[in-house]
This record gives sequence, structure tokens and C-alpha cells, in this order.
Amino acid sequence: MPNPVCVDVRDVHKSFKRGIETVDVLNGLNLQVAENEFVSLMGPSGSGKTTLLNLIAGLDRPTSGEVIVQGERVSSMTETQLAAWRTRSVGFVFQFYNLLSVLTAYRNVELPLLLLPLSASERKKQVMTAMDIVGLTDRVNHRPGQLSGGQQQRVGIARAIVTDPALLVADEPTGALDAKSADDILDLLGELRKSLKKTIIIVTHDPRAAARADREIHLDKGQLVDAR
Amino acid sequence: MKLLFLIFENIRRNLIRTTLTGLGTMMMVLVVTLVFTVLSALDRATTEKQTNLKAIVTEKWQIPSMMPYSYAKALSDGGANPDDPEATRPEDSMSWGFFVGSTEENPAKRSFENLFFAFIMEPEKARTMLDEVDMLSDEEAAPLLAAIQKMKDVPNGVIVGQERLEKMKKRVGDRITVFGRNYRDMDLELEIVGTFPKEPARYADSSVISRDYFNRQLDAYQRTHNNKPHPMAEKTLGLVWLRLKNRKAFNKVSEQILTSPSFTSPSVKIETSSTGIGGFLEAWRDVIWGMRTLMAPACMLVLSLVISNAISISVRERQMEFAVMKVLGFRPGQIEMIVLAEALIIGVSFGFLSAAMTYGVVNGYMGGLPFRIAFFPKFSVPTDALWWGPAMGALTALAGSYGPARSARHVKVSDVFARVT
Repeated sequence: MPNPVCVDVRDVHKSFKRGIETVDVLNGLNLQVAENEFVSLMGPSGSGKTTLLNLIAGLDRPTSGEVIVQGERVSSMTETQLAAWRTRSVGFVFQFYNLLSVLTAYRNVELPLLLLPLSASERKKQVMTAMDIVGLTDRVNHRPGQLSGGQQQRVGIARAIVTDPALLVADEPTGALDAKSADDILDLLGELRKSLKKTIIIVTHDPRAAARADREIHLDKGQLVDAR
Repeated sequence: MKLLFLIFENIRRNLIRTTLTGLGTMMMVLVVTLVFTVLSALDRATTEKQTNLKAIVTEKWQIPSMMPYSYAKALSDGGANPDDPEATRPEDSMSWGFFVGSTEENPAKRSFENLFFAFIMEPEKARTMLDEVDMLSDEEAAPLLAAIQKMKDVPNGVIVGQERLEKMKKRVGDRITVFGRNYRDMDLELEIVGTFPKEPARYADSSVISRDYFNRQLDAYQRTHNNKPHPMAEKTLGLVWLRLKNRKAFNKVSEQILTSPSFTSPSVKIETSSTGIGGFLEAWRDVIWGMRTLMAPACMLVLSLVISNAISISVRERQMEFAVMKVLGFRPGQIEMIVLAEALIIGVSFGFLSAAMTYGVVNGYMGGLPFRIAFFPKFSVPTDALWWGPAMGALTALAGSYGPARSARHVKVSDVFARVT
């Protein structure tokens, strides 16, 4: 029996204004991602991959169409609702980690938990669990500047999973890493999908990363071209 | 509260920038505190009271006021008719004359440093009627009380302000000769019997000699000058202070004095002390206006701009961080609050530090701000400054950080990441 749909993108259009010009980035795009599926989005620059990811993650709103994630109409939420939804429901992993340099690894991972009604001890438990999953419990008090690229990305992943969201989205998660570190990260993502049943959507140019996915989705000029 | 650590880490992020912003805050708060110190003291002195007020009686048509001493008793009674039991009498009174001289005999060497200025008055009234001295506790006024007691045994005693004592390089117990300037050919041999307390600072340069002693010196002058009185003999009364219960009593006493036939040559006028002080300050009106309306607001505006600049740079540098925080679920209002809180903490803490240091240094070390306006030689920083400082810091911090905070709030996540990827 196929898994229920986690992400449902229906006839989505997205345009941006660049000066006096209007740029159509996504044109009537339809996409469904099942729960616990690992999907990679690929395509040339400007194809709309990151824009699609932002729409799914609730970071932007479509010009028209609907985006439904885990039964919730993300495209209709207000900014306040989206913020609260993102905290609970989506973990975002960035290409360049985007950790707060003034905070330790512990504090970086703890950041999303501060938005939830949890006590300090509950937050600590969740942070240490997340750090344990990514294998960095011995680095909790290090600042990003004291960590390698791979370690920083692990902290980024820990931050993304600390609120136990069902959906993980990653924008070029291995883009800034060497081959060995990239493999480690992809292994970790695979493990998260297998043991924690996360649904994972990554944007990538890296064929090795795409190969780890259950399905490759190619975009070109704002439309799906094909899917493996 | 949960985000306090993030706020403090952001403040520590660039210590040089934070320190420079803080120092700028301290400088501006220092300037405005000093301005407010002067203005608040002048405001207190010129604010009309409704109860327990003081009135001043002076000569009506001449400045400086020079009335005959024979007016003193009747004016001290509020011009009350002795036969009228319904007449209103003051609660207390004090008469002033002024003796100006120098401790330097050689006129060519006379200067501000060896200038001697004394109130000719009843010594015991220094405790009960002098502005601000009458508000001191017995413990605070102890040096003065001891000096007043000593003057009962030492008729030619003089009470000298501490600053004047230091300038003369004299101590309590020393004798001095004061060569008269407004009372020519009248030199006084005085013994220093005590000092004013350090606070209030306005009497630090003043002295008090006994009215009885001075009158005896006038008599001695007459005896030694062919029985001719001193040219100033009938002009020794400068003004009379009256303590009155309320405005009603003031109005009644005013009527008694102004309708009395005893005070017609010369004529007198009566006004509340705040009005009288206001009159003296008339010459300083433009300076006071400038301080209140231009200087203080200008300083606060500059401080707002300094803070705004520093916070703007910080917000611009942290655009990516704010975008990440939004991705994690922080609402725009929360991000705005973080930026405002950072500025507020800097403004309040450095504002308080500046005000506290100003209070300590000006009052404790300098003995008051030496900025002479009329007969206010010094101004003490009031304890109110301890909340002015943080309040000014907070106000200017909020004003300066409002724009950058709004900017942080409106960081568009998709735009920030579009630039990166």
C-alpha cells in the first residue's frame, strides 16, 4: 500500500518582479511526494528548484495554486501561522550551514526549541538527542568557527531535526563539502529517512546525492521535465 | 527571557562597536545630565509654592536694594500692626545685608581669589531660613550648628563656606582682616568659627557675619570719624526674608506691608522668593532657553543617530542570520524585538553608568558643577539623574534602533537565499 501523500503541489505558478519585468519561475507545476520518500530536485540554474523548495517549506507563497503539506494548506497561511508551522513541521538544511556564529553548537540546535513551550530540561534532552543522532555530542560547546565544514553541516542537520518535523528540506546540503564529508552527510540523511521516517526533499546538482534519492525530479523553465 | 542569551551574545559579537556606541552614549548622557542638573535646580528655585513659601521684601525702585536697618523689625513682623490681633505674622524671618571686601590690603593685588562676600544677618537664622540649609537634618547641619553656637561667645565670628576657606588658605580658628569695598574704610577683624556643610554647594563661597557685630562696627566708625555716620549707615538692609504658611498669608502680609506708612522712604516691594529669583535669572533667560530647547534635544538627537548608525550596520551584517531565524520559525515581531532589546540594553546600561559616574564625580569629587548663574555658584547633580541617565539612554536607543529594527523585521527570506544560491 503506497504511503500517504506528504507534500502536494497543485498547479502552482510563481512570478517575481525584477524592476519593471515580471519573471515567471514556476508555471503550473504539479508534484506529489509521499511520506518517508527521499526526493531530489535537479535542474539547471534558474529552473525553479529553490523556489519550489521555498514554497514547500513555507518560506514563500505561490502567485497561484496550492501547496499542501501533511494535510495543511501552507499556501493559505498568514505569516504568523507559517512561522509557527515551520517550527513544528519543517526542518531546513542550508548549503552553507547558516549557523549563528556567536552561538555554540548547543545553542544553535536549541534555537527552534525556544519557540516552543518547553522547559530548559526538556530542551536539553531534545538537543542532546539530536546531537547524538548526528554524532556530535562531544562538540556541543564549540562555536561554528571551531568546527569543520562537515561538522557544521551536521549541526545544521541537528537543528533541522530537533523539533522532530516530519519533513526535511535541504538546499544543496553537500554543495560546500568535500567528497568524504558529503558522503557522510548523505549517509546521515539516509539514516534519518530510514530510522526516523522523515520525508526528505533535497535540491542538488550533485549526481551522487541524487543517486541516494528514491526519485529524481528534473525541472526546467519552471516545469517538471521527467522523474526517475 | 529565553532569548536573552542571544541578545547578550549579539551585543558581545563586536565589542569594539558596542564599546564605541556605549562611550558615545555616555558622553551624550553626561552632557544632558549636566544641563538638566542646572535646569532642574533653577526650575526648583523658580517654581511657585502654595504652602510653606518664602517671600522677599526689597527696595522697590533701586537695585541693589539698600533699605535702612530700622525697617528690619517691622518687616520681620510682616508689617503687622502691633495693635491688631488679627494681623498675619510670618512663621519666621531673616534679614540680609551684604558685606563685600577683600582679604588683600593692597588694592592692586585684589582679585576674585581674595574676594570676601558675607551675609550680614542673625546667625541662628542661617539654620532655619537659608534655602536648602533649612532642609538639612541636624546631623547634616552639625558643622553649621556648632558654628552658630560659637558665635554667641565670639561676637566677631564669621562662618565661612568650605571653598572660600580653601581659597583663603585658612582654617577654623584663624583670624582674618577683611578690607571693605562696599563699606569703604570699614575693615573687619574676624575670627573663623566654623563652616557651612559641604551640601548645599551654593554657600560654598559665602560667609555669614553677625548683624549685631556689624551694627557695632558702624557705631565704632562713627565714633572714630567725628561722629559722622558711615555713608552707608542708612542703607545696610538689603532684603528681608519671610516664611509664610500659604498663599493666603502671603497675600495678607503683602497688603500689610504695602499699605503700611512705615515703608515709604524708600518704598518697598514684596514678592515670593521664586518670583524674586526668577527676576535675577532674567539676564540668563536666553542661555537657559538655549540649554533647554536647543542643547539638550540636540544632544539626544545626535545620540539617536549614533545608535541608529551602529545598529543599522549590525542589522545589515546579520541579514542572513535574521533570514535563518525566520526559516526556523521566528516571527518578524520577535526579530524586531531582539534588535530593539539589544539597543535598549546598551542605552540603559551605559546611560546609567554615565549618570552614576557624573553623580559621583561632580558631587563627591568636585563638590558640585561650577557653573555660576546669578547667585548659584555651583549645582549638585540630583539623585533624579540616576534615572534620567538610563531613561535618556533608553529613549534614544529606541528612537535610533526603530528604523533598523523595522528593517530586520522585513528581511525577506526568499530574497536572501536567492542571492546566495
